[in-house]
Amino acid sequence: MSPPLLEVRDLRIRFFTEDGEVRAVEGVSFDLQEGEILGIVGESGCGKSMTALSIMGLVPEPGRVTGGEIRFKGRDLLSMAPDEVRDIRGKDIAMIFQDPLSSLNPVLKTGFQVAEPMLAHQRADKRRALARAVELLRQVRVPAAEQRARDYPFQLSGGMRQRAMIAMGLANAPSMLIADEPTTALDVTVQAQILDLLRTLNRETRTAIVLITHNLAVVAGLCSRVIVMYAGQIVEEGSVFDLFERPQHPYTWLLLRSVPRLDRTRPERLRSIEGLPPDLIAPPPGCRFHPRCPFRIEPCFTEPPPLQEVGPGQRAACWVTMRRAHEEMGAATLLDVRPGAGSGVHGPIREPHRG
Amino acid sequence: MGGRPIAITTFIAEPMAQRRAGLWTDAWRRLRRNRLALVAATYLLGLVGVAILAVFWTPYSTTHQGIVLPYQGPTPAHPLGGDSLGRDILSRLMEGAQISLLVGVGTQVVVLALGVPLGLLAGYFRSWLDAALSLLINIFYGVPDLLVALILIVLLGHSGLGQIIFAIAVTRWMDMARLVRGQAMSLREREFVEAARSCGSGTFKILFRHLLPNALGPIIVQATLGIPQAILFEAFLSFLGLGVQPPTPSWGSMAADGVQAIRISPHIVLAPTIALSVTLMAFNFVGDGLRDALDPRQRR
Repeated sequence: MSPPLLEVRDLRIRFFTEDGEVRAVEGVSFDLQEGEILGIVGESGCGKSMTALSIMGLVPEPGRVTGGEIRFKGRDLLSMAPDEVRDIRGKDIAMIFQDPLSSLNPVLKTGFQVAEPMLAHQRADKRRALARAVELLRQVRVPAAEQRARDYPFQLSGGMRQRAMIAMGLANAPSMLIADEPTTALDVTVQAQILDLLRTLNRETRTAIVLITHNLAVVAGLCSRVIVMYAGQIVEEGSVFDLFERPQHPYTWLLLRSVPRLDRTRPERLRSIEGLPPDLIAPPPGCRFHPRCPFRIEPCFTEPPPLQEVGPGQRAACWVTMRRAHEEMGAATLLDVRPGAGSGVHGPIREPHRG
Repeated sequence: MGGRPIAITTFIAEPMAQRRAGLWTDAWRRLRRNRLALVAATYLLGLVGVAILAVFWTPYSTTHQGIVLPYQGPTPAHPLGGDSLGRDILSRLMEGAQISLLVGVGTQVVVLALGVPLGLLAGYFRSWLDAALSLLINIFYGVPDLLVALILIVLLGHSGLGQIIFAIAVTRWMDMARLVRGQAMSLREREFVEAARSCGSGTFKILFRHLLPNALGPIIVQATLGIPQAILFEAFLSFLGLGVQPPTPSWGSMAADGVQAIRISPHIVLAPTIALSVTLMAFNFVGDGLRDALDPRQRR
């Protein structure tokens, strides 16, 4: 296998706030192969967006990358001078954001903004860049691209704005595109179109994509490999198929049970995950998920579990793993027991509220 | 809720692409509805016309004395009468308009040149730069502006238009810097700035391509409202004899000329002061009109 396009090793990001140091990302490591689509999933505040921003060198104040390596094509982005990183931003690595309306400058014409990465990297003079912007808009299937290029962002629909953002990301034919919740602000029908577009682009241009989302359906439809993050750490990693079929970390398992699935023959109850993500200023000792975990055992309280092989190409950070939970604890039936029914399970899983 | 679930048949379509005109067309449309601002703008255009005309032609010489009798009241040949030295007041008023407009606009040009870059840098970078600027602004606010202007005029030597413009601008740049700083501070947190950074744009480009155009509305309003302040300040300085040097007419010095004889010949004071008041009002009306027109919250 050729060396990975992006290697992240033991990444640590902290926010230095008045209340203390927030450990937003702690020891995250992963690889991205060329042409791959990698999903990073997790709740809000689990560190997925910060991981993405750190790759771009754009961690906002008062946050700072405090350790680790981010190697892109073999070069460590974290030890580069700001100018060198800027040279890579928008050229080799591009990023698209969640809300296309607020990510586009309201007073600049769309075409100009799509051309901006080309101008920023002196890839073309203004006239040629604008012409190429129209071409790019056409490539991301914006209808009547010439006219739309002359429009301001507020004159475009939500889907078209996100297409414009993607066109902007593709302007310099980057080898890697980071998409931070690219469909969250869009209607469901438009979401599907945008995902379809990303898939096509990945196939045609071999651009590797890091897709950051909290939406499991988006991951299932687009990614080949998925990383699940919880409280600043990777809790599980594997192929989409393995993760959806055989999740090994209880968090992944619960996450999957919290969304309805149409491909299940046996009806299952939808479960929300009890409790809230931990305070990252003083994260719980041991496994960070243990306060919410229904399967926790003795070591979970004290020893942080390492991310270890649980199957071919699948890793999970758990002392129990779902395989054991199913075999020894009868996980599925366990959860159907009413809270407080003496199951010996702490932190019972609550039924979703029904209105 | 009991009962059976209601089938949701309402199809929520993607909102149609809004066909709205651009920011400026939109603002112009709203400005046009504001009668007062339009009348004021028309007056100001007329005043600019008069000032330009005065470069080439005035009914009489503006400096020749004894064209009329001293303290002569209005006559058909001299509709605004003559001043204490027998000069034609209408002619001097026309040339005075030139001075006032030059000072007003010139001051704001200097204020913009100082305040906009300083405000942008301080608001965008924060840190010590912002602290230094804020301190400087507060110091300048603390010192009486008349004192600063007087000292500068004395230091710069007596006094061409350039010196007066500079002296007034030095006492007037803080509002603009503070405004732009505030704008930059709020705009830097907007996502499109992050997006611009993520596509590799440099700092200069982010400041002037992304932040500045978004702050342009308030800046224009501030500059427009700053013009009458500067005009008034110049008139005040000239009234005290510290402004434009005689025999060049300024509305302020013309008013000063008539003060001694205000009981017998009030027209000498009235002509320049009325011109001054109307002009100040006009600028304020236009500024207010622009504020309403450019305020995005008033989008209709």
